[in-house]
Amino acid sequence: MSSVAGKLTAAEQKRLYELVLNPPLGSKVEAAKNYGVDLTLTLRSLTLTPTERSQEMESALLLMEEIQKAALRIDR
Amino acid sequence: MTNFKAALEILRNAEVNFVVVGAYAGVLHGSSQLTRDLDICYERTSQNIKRLVTALASCNPRLRGAPSSVPFLFDERTVSHGMNFTLETDFGDLDLLGELSGLGQFPDVARDAISIELFGQPCRVASLDAIIRSKRAAGRAKDLNALPELEALKEMTRKK
Repeated sequence: MSSVAGKLTAAEQKRLYELVLNPPLGSKVEAAKNYGVDLTLTLRSLTLTPTERSQEMESALLLMEEIQKAALRIDR
Repeated sequence: MTNFKAALEILRNAEVNFVVVGAYAGVLHGSSQLTRDLDICYERTSQNIKRLVTALASCNPRLRGAPSSVPFLFDERTVSHGMNFTLETDFGDLDLLGELSGLGQFPDVARDAISIELFGQPCRVASLDAIIRSKRAAGRAKDLNALPELEALKEMTRKK
């Protein structure tokens, strides 16, 4: 599979879910988990198309901006 | 916040030759990181620089973070004499990169870039390998911090 191919098949998603839960010793997946990366977020992103990934990221940024604005209002 | 769709449309409509790079390219590949700006590697030919300048002329490009007293004229001469520009525009933050650490200039970046469908249009995006190489070469804390996920992503999406 390619990361930009879009939505995963059910079989690919199952394989990756198992990989994320039980990464092989010495793998990059294990290294990322040990570093503190939440790879379930990455896996969720892989279930989306590139356009959906972009839209979801923009939504998250908008939410963060709204929270920051609200926090500033409370501080005043 | 950057309107990525609008920014890409402006560049594509003007037929600017570019490749999406940086953190946003990582997001398109599946990274869960967030980024506020669009980074592109643009072709440094006089024709493409002209298209780039024309495309952005109506978007009020200015140097990001610079006081308004700092003179800046975004024209073909400025782009030709410079290389990388961190801009603020009416559609958000845009980094124009003539050259990237670890990758080189547009021909090198475009060589193994991939074409994806983004907002209903084809768009060239740096390969995951290239993004990893450039972040490793840039070596800033934020770049190195992104590497574990990108390398895991590469492993997860490797063809079986």
